[in-house]
Amino acid sequence: MALDLSSLCEQFPDLQLPALSREGGATAYQLRLPLFQDGREFKWAELRLPKGFPKYGKAFIQLSPDSVLRIPHLDRAGVLCNEGDPGPGLGYSSEDRIKFVLHGYLEQFLKPWLNGDLDGEFENETLNYWAIAVAKARSKTDAVRGVWTIDSPPTKARVRSGLLLIPNRIIIAADEQLRITNRLVQSMGPAAKQRVRVLVADIPISHAFTPSTWPRSMSDLERILQGRLTSADYSRLQHSRRGRGMHRVVLLRNSEVSFAYLLPGGPPTILDVYRGKKTSPSLHKPLPLMTSRLDPDWTVGRDQHPEISGRQAKHVLVLGVGALGSPIVDHIAKAGVGRISVVDADTMSSANIGRHLLGADSIGQNKVDAIAQRINLAYPATEVTPYAMSTTEWLKKNTLVDVDVVLDLTGEPDVRVQIEQVRLSYPCPLLIGWMEPYVAAAHACMLPAGQKWLKGAQDPLSYLEAVVWPSDVILQEPGCSSRFQSYTAAAAEHAVALVAECSLEMIDNSATVTSDSSVRSWVRGQRFLDKHWPGLTHKEWAKAASVYDGLILNRQFP
Amino acid sequence: MITKSAELVKHAEQKFPARLTKSLASFAALREGYITDARDRLEEYDLWAKALSEANSHIAVDKEEIAAATDAYNEVADYLAANLSWPHESISIKPQGSVSTKTLIRSPNGSEKFDIDAVCKIDISQIEADNPVSFFESIGQALKELEAQPKRRCWKIPFTGRRFYLEFTPSIPLNTVSEQTLHSMAPRYSVSRYGETALAVVDMPTESWKTSNSEGMSKWVNDTSERRLIRTIAMEAHAYDRAAASVSPVPDQTVDITDTLRVAIRLFKRHRDMCARRGIIDADTKPISVIIVTLLTSCYEGLADLNRSFEHPVELLDELATLMPHLVLELDGKYRVDNPTVEGENFAEKWNDDGGDRYKSFMDWTSALSADLQTILAEKDPQAISKSVRYVFGISPPTGGGNSLTNLQPPAPRATPASRGLA
Repeated sequence: MALDLSSLCEQFPDLQLPALSREGGATAYQLRLPLFQDGREFKWAELRLPKGFPKYGKAFIQLSPDSVLRIPHLDRAGVLCNEGDPGPGLGYSSEDRIKFVLHGYLEQFLKPWLNGDLDGEFENETLNYWAIAVAKARSKTDAVRGVWTIDSPPTKARVRSGLLLIPNRIIIAADEQLRITNRLVQSMGPAAKQRVRVLVADIPISHAFTPSTWPRSMSDLERILQGRLTSADYSRLQHSRRGRGMHRVVLLRNSEVSFAYLLPGGPPTILDVYRGKKTSPSLHKPLPLMTSRLDPDWTVGRDQHPEISGRQAKHVLVLGVGALGSPIVDHIAKAGVGRISVVDADTMSSANIGRHLLGADSIGQNKVDAIAQRINLAYPATEVTPYAMSTTEWLKKNTLVDVDVVLDLTGEPDVRVQIEQVRLSYPCPLLIGWMEPYVAAAHACMLPAGQKWLKGAQDPLSYLEAVVWPSDVILQEPGCSSRFQSYTAAAAEHAVALVAECSLEMIDNSATVTSDSSVRSWVRGQRFLDKHWPGLTHKEWAKAASVYDGLILNRQFP
Repeated sequence: MITKSAELVKHAEQKFPARLTKSLASFAALREGYITDARDRLEEYDLWAKALSEANSHIAVDKEEIAAATDAYNEVADYLAANLSWPHESISIKPQGSVSTKTLIRSPNGSEKFDIDAVCKIDISQIEADNPVSFFESIGQALKELEAQPKRRCWKIPFTGRRFYLEFTPSIPLNTVSEQTLHSMAPRYSVSRYGETALAVVDMPTESWKTSNSEGMSKWVNDTSERRLIRTIAMEAHAYDRAAASVSPVPDQTVDITDTLRVAIRLFKRHRDMCARRGIIDADTKPISVIIVTLLTSCYEGLADLNRSFEHPVELLDELATLMPHLVLELDGKYRVDNPTVEGENFAEKWNDDGGDRYKSFMDWTSALSADLQTILAEKDPQAISKSVRYVFGISPPTGGGNSLTNLQPPAPRATPASRGLA
């Protein structure tokens, strides 16, 4: 595809013809460079049009490799990252699209760079630049691929032990003294067949590093280690090298960013290759590594939810892990609740698949066991303990003494009566959650410690419902005596969200004495009712919802 | 009689610290005296002086910015005077610290604020002086609308939206506090040199008056910096070059780091800040500026008192960096950096009860400084020197030329780009 850029060259004489061809079928035009002040130079800049331009792809500017990590806003290949070519499909001519690119290069990059206006920009996206440094240094035979942290940075630099997991080649910067370490190792399964002890110099930093301040050599790192570690820690780290040939990692971090290096002098890397093993010697220089934070504050709430530390200390008892209970356990685990005990005697059957957290791979397993396994593997911030038994049995063997909140998601009248009895001796906040047929409505009744559910001998559940149900709505499942309503998992998601939010509110406030008990309800409108059964009507209190697709209503618990 | 500073220098020299340039091949010609002509020697020194001078001017806060800050604290002074019950003429506000010694530096990240210290002196009655806490609080009360935050001895005014913040230290003339009160509350402190400017400030943690002499400290730095340590022969050579510029245009490279004490203070402070950025020292225990200022000024003063002389500022910088770590006294197992203007005040007091963290930071910093200066002085290629100086002191390359580039008219503005949804 030949483009005629000669008129563009008249407007912008620094654009030089003729076109040159570059790897991948790209076309390049060199850009004449200005006179540089000492230290601001780069070897070349090119306008590049990818193969298929203008129909496919976007035009861009590429700078010579010497500019990468010296000049901000360049990716690893030297491609300038700024607003440029709007791309095909928006009605611009090729010439206009190229003009946008050249204009952006001049005004957003070249002039500000020469004037020093981009000098502070490395600080803004420091981890992006670190990723470039890591990618440049990476090789297939590296002993370590990344470092995971699971706690906050220390206030003072220290040397601690960590675990290298093989064959995954991930280092966890903590040892088994933290329970979460074990949960992470478990969740890696066969990727963490082998645990190898390593030493980690865990050093807090006050500022994020930039390419001009991060350590560039072993002697830079040596300075930091000498400056920050106590002499005992320093010699522990040094000594290990001569001793058993342990891997050593330097972790430099604060609450926002972290940087890690694998030090040279560790044992050789042994990798499984086709029909055997391949051994690679240790590195000669420090290897920069990416880090990931696996601590609950980050995995659960990306540091924006201070309530997580409170949740981590909570123990929640969930009764019933069916279509409502199972996704709610998943939600409160995702929200960072530290301990969840799940009680249910049921096994997974084919009829559950369409609306349960679990799937066909769990058929025949105890629901609680499969859920515990799944969540314990997926969310290291949470520990789920399964009890494959009925609530009656569980209550015989256990008390509510260390339980912070009970969630009754069984829908069973007997369970409600039993919990009422136990709460007389162990006052504990209780949430009762259930759905009406077709998930035409769902309710979360939140009862603080000391508030009873039963009204004398009367169970208020039906009274609290939103829809007047004719008796023939309830179907009998073939070959089974349990109640069965047809509904989709999508319709149930609304109920799950409502009950999960209420549960978290209760969990977060369980320590504070809340004065009122309340019922929060999700109620679908008339259109939804009509679609499912002719002649359905709302109860008086719920009539407000009838004109909407759905509405959330709050009431006092009577 | 030998002065205290001279004594400190002699004491440091007894440890036989080696000059940074002692074994550098790059310095052999100067060190061994192979170059004899004074002008040639200066040109040789200027290799490094040029790059160091560039760094010095990059980190110094320029006069305009300081002037803007000065205006701001004058405004605060008027505001304070209007809000306080004392008569206007009994209140005076003066800058102190790095502003008054002209050693204010920028933070490595240009967007961070610099702090302007000011001392606000109020003539209050002896009766009022009996209660230092209520005096301190009354100043804070008067500054309430400026969101002043109390610190150990001063009120910090954040000045949202400006390049700087102010720290106001309330004080009273020393003679207002009765000798007895002062003695009973802070018996260790008494006035030393520059006694006429001594003040009493409130130390909130102990709720008592403490002697302070920030004006005296500034005057000491300024007086000392004016003393000549560079040999006249060098000065003459420079003067000769200037006069004969039309004949031999050398002085183009001659740069001004002759204000060597201040240059050293600025560069060393900056180096300390970079060490904290690089994680070499802990930002919480890094050496405080007043310690660096005191050690360097004592060293400079001691060298002057001993009639030492140097042929070029670079040689003097080498000497200052070499001696500085050895000017910290260790007496009876305690580290001491004495305030020369207040007898008994030890700027390094915290070093003695932190498990050695601050002393370690100081020593780690000074050894990094020596190593970095050696790296710079080991280079002889001007470009390599510049590169090295910029890296060590965290200085961006020189700017300019951007505005003279071509303009390219962009095509008609694009439609608002589609924004992203959360996913």
